[in-house]
Amino acid sequence: MSTRHSTAAARFLKDREQEKWHDETLWLVRAKRDKMSRSLPEWETLRNLAASIKLYSNSHLADLLEQFEKNAAGNGAIVHWAKDAEEYNRIVYDLLKERNIKRLAKSKSMLAEECGMNSYLMERGIDVVETDLGERILQLMHLKPSHIVLPAIHIKRQQVGEMMEREMGTEKGNFDPTYLTHAARKNLREIFLNSDAAMTGVNFAVASTGEIVVCTNEGNADMGTSFPKLHIAAFGLEKIVPDLEALGVFTRLLARSGTGQPITSYTSHYRSPQNGGEFHIIIVDNGRSEILKNREHIRILNCIRCGECMNTCPVYRRSGGYSYTYFIPGPIGINLSMLKNPKLYSDNLSACSLCLSCSNVCPVKVDLGEQIYRWRQQLDGLGQANPVKKQISMGLKYLMDRPKVFNTALKFAPLANQMPRFVLYNKLNAWGKGRELPHFAKKSFNELWKNNQVK
Amino acid sequence: MGSREEILGNIRKNTLFSFEKPSYEIDSIKYEDKLQAFCDMLKVAGGQPVFMSPDDDLDKLISRLYPDAKRIASNLPDVKCAVYNPDEIENSRELKNTDLSVVSGAFGVAENGAVWIPLNVKYKALYFISESLVILLDKREIVHTMHEAYKRISGERYGYGLFMSGPSKTADIEQALVFGAHGPMSVSVVLY
Amino acid sequence: MKVGLFIPCYINAIYPEVGVASYKLLKAVGMDVDYPLDQTCCGQPMANAGFEKESYAMAMRMEELFKAYDYVVGPSASCVAFVKEYHPGILKEGNHVCSNAGKIYDICEFLHDVVKPASLSAEFPHKVSIHNSCHGVRELNLSSPSERNIPYYNKLRNLLALVKGIEIFEPKRIDECCGFGGMFSIEEPEVSVCMAQDKVADHISTGAEYITGADSSCLMHMQGVIERENLPIKTIHIVQILATGL
Repeated sequence: MSTRHSTAAARFLKDREQEKWHDETLWLVRAKRDKMSRSLPEWETLRNLAASIKLYSNSHLADLLEQFEKNAAGNGAIVHWAKDAEEYNRIVYDLLKERNIKRLAKSKSMLAEECGMNSYLMERGIDVVETDLGERILQLMHLKPSHIVLPAIHIKRQQVGEMMEREMGTEKGNFDPTYLTHAARKNLREIFLNSDAAMTGVNFAVASTGEIVVCTNEGNADMGTSFPKLHIAAFGLEKIVPDLEALGVFTRLLARSGTGQPITSYTSHYRSPQNGGEFHIIIVDNGRSEILKNREHIRILNCIRCGECMNTCPVYRRSGGYSYTYFIPGPIGINLSMLKNPKLYSDNLSACSLCLSCSNVCPVKVDLGEQIYRWRQQLDGLGQANPVKKQISMGLKYLMDRPKVFNTALKFAPLANQMPRFVLYNKLNAWGKGRELPHFAKKSFNELWKNNQVK
Repeated sequence: MGSREEILGNIRKNTLFSFEKPSYEIDSIKYEDKLQAFCDMLKVAGGQPVFMSPDDDLDKLISRLYPDAKRIASNLPDVKCAVYNPDEIENSRELKNTDLSVVSGAFGVAENGAVWIPLNVKYKALYFISESLVILLDKREIVHTMHEAYKRISGERYGYGLFMSGPSKTADIEQALVFGAHGPMSVSVVLY
Repeated sequence: MKVGLFIPCYINAIYPEVGVASYKLLKAVGMDVDYPLDQTCCGQPMANAGFEKESYAMAMRMEELFKAYDYVVGPSASCVAFVKEYHPGILKEGNHVCSNAGKIYDICEFLHDVVKPASLSAEFPHKVSIHNSCHGVRELNLSSPSERNIPYYNKLRNLLALVKGIEIFEPKRIDECCGFGGMFSIEEPEVSVCMAQDKVADHISTGAEYITGADSSCLMHMQGVIERENLPIKTIHIVQILATGL
């Protein structure tokens, strides 16, 4: 009864050293986050407030987006609307093509990833250069991110060094992160200075002022937008917040949760085009407005993409981002993938022990674990239930609905203790992978009670 | 405008709940010594707080902090050691190879060591492109938290502005912290 | 106060001694305890696997069995949490209002919050490491979840502190999952085993001789790894410690 996740996870776990590093490194991020959250006595109140603001804005999206559009236009920005990935990609491409732009300096955007923007543009002759270091490393290695905030967390320094030797001519055998980072800095600086357009993601879009806010540690979004005339920013429509004061809440939570920093190095507010430049903002739906009608899963729209649910997830830490079949892994990815296409992505649902750590760590109080439980209930109806799991469940049900049969079974159960190992521990026994089976008691509690042996 | 109407229509049609806008009032942390907290957090972020007394000479202070800096840019009249005024160049790309930029900040935030800088130079590239950055900040201008910070800038007019907390950094290679990913390797906040 | 003892299926079958200790303990603190015969299962295994509606009859049966009691008390935080959190929703399908949800307690929670014994006769001169199990912590509030910024508390620790001669420890990752998760343990066996190995190692690193907790299911899972790898630590349900000498 394996799933695509469990099979991929087993592969990841073959390299126990790498798995241990992955687990411990991400746990350290979780520990840093804990320290940060405990430095604020108001942490839990802050989470409640953040969740309430999100519920407010996500239940007033249309009004807030209209307000944003009006204010952004007043600031001199040009606002576009894209109902799906195709339209978003086309808008970006047309903006570039009309201006005969060949190179785009791009800062991190999960939305671009979601919509497959890079390949769309590159197939049409645009040189898209990722400028976040982690994303750049992956782009040059032709790999996808395995974490939304720490995209290259699965890559070792040796791999980075070897790739950079090839791509940027760094010293052979020099795998020092400082050396490599500064070599990439030099290399990307030429890109920044010589690009004709920059694209950024958006962490928050402020309705009352029409500005967008981008949070980075590297400063790549700001470097990228500093030289070219054209700045394109795009956001999924749930990124809207009502006003600047709401940002007071979210900017306090985002980096503390995501990386264990009090704030990112740069929290940049873009309102107007720079002198003589153009500022285009694309508002993207791509299925988000459909989530609104999904009563049980509406809170997913609260997500601010801090990535902490991945760091805390005991399954993610031990299976890696690539073990999930959706481009966003971990608890939030499981949920987003089910909202995107439940039939296609239901394999991710197995990647959860229902420990509920994610729900407790989430800065905007998305009930991630509880939602995974609810999705599992829908699998059978979708025709996606695992037949073996279903069989076991139905077998258990048969037994548990019939106390007499159950009690009889318990009488004979101790016989299993005596069975030869090859009968008990075989391919069919997934429990037997690494664990001994529990031993049935000679007399069940029910039996003891009946015989008056419980005193 | 087709998609715009379609998206807004879909949202209105699909919205099932209406949640009230919550009050933003929150009993947030108040530091006994805001300035000290600001300095501590700035250090956590990799930045360097530097105090300047009224008798100090700013140029001497800067050259003590960055003795090797040659190409120094500033549009502040008090910064005599600047070799050029970045507002007078034609193209932001000419800022390349600047060793040090000296700019001013509006206020600092105690809880995270960030300084609010509403665009006060011609090219925002100046904040990012030099190897090192000095931010001048009035030490009386410190707020406790981001709540206060945003209250303070609500209603302000700026085309661009940022909260900057320490130097540019990354940990994208095996989570090893490296300063100077793209922006300044070093940031000093001179508190006067 | 009439207490109905809730003995989940796997304790009934595998760990009857946990049931016996629970009975003795409740009796010793002055409760009028009874065990309604022929209990089976709360339905959690099927529900976590995605077949919640198949648990309806089991939930209904529990309603019948415990109708006459003031409290339902069981030695399994996860099963108790399932009744408390999920039975109401399951039973709503048949327009039944769940009464167990309001009166069911994990035995530690019951002792700690309702009975509040000032002392116990128990003695256990050993080093124990507390296993803070996911549903005990995050659904029943048996201890402060490590993710939350709330003052530290641990009801299990408080109860164990009443035991003479005991030394109490907690693992470094204080409430990380042991990887059981019901059907998860066989659907994702590699991850599940890895989680259990890590968890047991964390408990061992405290120097404890025993892992103890309020959930026999987690203990059973870790026991599986301990036996397979012949590791130097044992598992014991907390009630067996609290009921020593009875």
